[in-house]
Amino acid sequence: MDHLTTETFDANARAALTDVQLRSALRKATSLFGRRRLEAAKSLDNWEELRSQARAIKDKTLLHLDRYLEAFAANAEAAGAQIHWARNAAEANRIVCRLARERQARLVVKSKSMATEEIHLNAALEAEGIEALETDLGEYIIQLAGETPSHIIAPAIHKTKGQIAELFTDKLGIELTNDIAKLTCTARQVLREKFGAADIGISGVNFGVAETGTILILENEGNIRLTTSLPKTHIAVMGIEKVIPRFADLEVFLKLLPRSGTGQHLTAYQSLITGTKRRREDEGPDELHIVLLDNGRSRMLAHPVTRQALACIRCGACLNACPVYQQIGGHAYGSVYPGPIGAVITPQLFGLAKSAQLPYASSLCGACREVCPVKIDIPELLLHLRAEITEGRSQKAGGRRQEPAVARRRLERFTFKLWAVVMTRRRVYEWSGRLLRRLQRFIVSRGRIGQVGSLLARLAPPLDSWTQARDLRPIEPKSFREQWREMNSNDK
Amino acid sequence: MINRLAPDQSTTNARSLILASVRKYLAESAHVDAVCEPGAPVVEAMPLTGIDDDAVRRIEIFRDRLESVGGHCVVTRGEAQAIQALNQIIASLPGRRIALSDAPLVSRLMKSAETEIDEQTIAPGAHELFGYDIGITTAQAAIAETGTLVLESDRERHRLVSLVPPVHIAFINAADICLTLGEALERVRHDGSGAMSRTITFITGPSRTADIELTLTIGVHGPKELHVIVIE
Repeated sequence: MDHLTTETFDANARAALTDVQLRSALRKATSLFGRRRLEAAKSLDNWEELRSQARAIKDKTLLHLDRYLEAFAANAEAAGAQIHWARNAAEANRIVCRLARERQARLVVKSKSMATEEIHLNAALEAEGIEALETDLGEYIIQLAGETPSHIIAPAIHKTKGQIAELFTDKLGIELTNDIAKLTCTARQVLREKFGAADIGISGVNFGVAETGTILILENEGNIRLTTSLPKTHIAVMGIEKVIPRFADLEVFLKLLPRSGTGQHLTAYQSLITGTKRRREDEGPDELHIVLLDNGRSRMLAHPVTRQALACIRCGACLNACPVYQQIGGHAYGSVYPGPIGAVITPQLFGLAKSAQLPYASSLCGACREVCPVKIDIPELLLHLRAEITEGRSQKAGGRRQEPAVARRRLERFTFKLWAVVMTRRRVYEWSGRLLRRLQRFIVSRGRIGQVGSLLARLAPPLDSWTQARDLRPIEPKSFREQWREMNSNDK
Repeated sequence: MINRLAPDQSTTNARSLILASVRKYLAESAHVDAVCEPGAPVVEAMPLTGIDDDAVRRIEIFRDRLESVGGHCVVTRGEAQAIQALNQIIASLPGRRIALSDAPLVSRLMKSAETEIDEQTIAPGAHELFGYDIGITTAQAAIAETGTLVLESDRERHRLVSLVPPVHIAFINAADICLTLGEALERVRHDGSGAMSRTITFITGPSRTADIELTLTIGVHGPKELHVIVIE
């Protein structure tokens, strides 16, 4: 399961669909999170206003991102933090590895961070001979197993307690147990020693406040507090879109994020860190380094539709609501960012060429848009990306083999013109329906499309793209209009 | 400790390149932005409705919310009652090695506590702390609507004492309980001299996880028990 890539999405998804255990875990997780989110949203009577407000704050920030970034950096530096700028994954990894080398670090403890997963920081550190240990329980399990997360909030939902017990017995030498509390306790003990011994703690950032230079990190387990309190050096990797203008803006996001993610009113811990400690004898790390990561984000600012994706606060609500994610889970997307938001972020961060199947991994039902706490219009974004893919293809084809592209475009245009003619004229519509129903008699037997028909549909090129993933169904013997007329005349 | 290193050339360069890139792409979108509908106006934060805001209600809401997330809460009148509550909590726990924050209130109350104690240290170092059973601190504020404690690092040495031992006991003055999250944010932002604490920690209940089969498990990395003693 750990070598899936975005390029093979269709095959990944098909494989995931046959995984009975995965699908039952997904059903349980997505329905539970979905239910909890709904209840938590109901606990506030101004949920919709909060969503609009959050989005407005994000929109405003993104429109002037350069200024807010500069303010954030200046204020964080004034409080003693050191700011590093990384244009891409390689630069970010180089910065973190250099910091680790300079401090002769052997062991790094990490708290859950999508940004560090996006840049594959662990692999970069390990290449330098530095052990990078994930400390979030789910991430720790995944790391021990050598796998990747299947959900952004619950990374190990695809594993049963039995599998985790076997893993712990195998790797940590504990007695086999099915007791979840004991398994959790084992992780606690093993990781406590590591927290004590670690040279550097690496975290992500949920929000960076421009006004004060504060970074805010949310969690439930306490591993982020340990990661950011015990080692002498704290490195926080932060996407440039995480900035918000004012300290008071945190209220809106602290109300939306936990409720949307896990259905909690507030997660167990929030750490608000502004620079470094004031006096040498104070508690906490001596140094704070904040790595500001672009890695394709600034490019997304170029259009209001694509820019929306930068408003994402990584709550995972759209994953739980998505009928596609509910069936296939996170691995199939082959990316750090799965689900609907992953399908729009991944192609933009890592290139459409590598993930051209992802924008099609949606029925455009709009459930993701309904639940998004910052009202990202994901279906709109999916269509935008699909259009880019199609334009890209015809441009490419136009350069090399003009004939088929032109022919295809002509055919498409003709088809849609014909469609418009039929759909805008009632009589033509009804007549063509009758004609099709009469014609289908040759291929329909006992209410189903017969073998000859399906074979025809499969072979004929324009039709096969529909039937590859769908059943071809016969047209109903009577149209809706006919049924309606009959029903009304019967009533009379 | 390692000396502050001047930011190297490549980082400074990356800074201007990233900012230039942000500006370039924003400029690209400007012509589209102009014809697009403006985003929703920034609405001011809604006041919390349906709650009568008086001190007694605040304490009740705080206790309800804290208990709903697995925390324990005792409301006491005056320090004498608070000491009693503390004695009872400590007596109910198996461990007797206690780490204290440097808050004067904590020391004062512990001096009058009558429970048997094996060891009692004020703000032990990070590594010694792993051997303690109980950490006792105060909190600078609390949030009623979420059952949250607010710890400000510049006011007390409690960052680790509240985190590392498996049990955390905290005293909070009833007068310091804010009704809303917004009120608490406002308060920590402009507390004292106007300078915000370098680390502010919000604590809502004991440490928790549901990473194995979505089963709620209490006490994964942080404290397994949280006791809050409210002093009126």
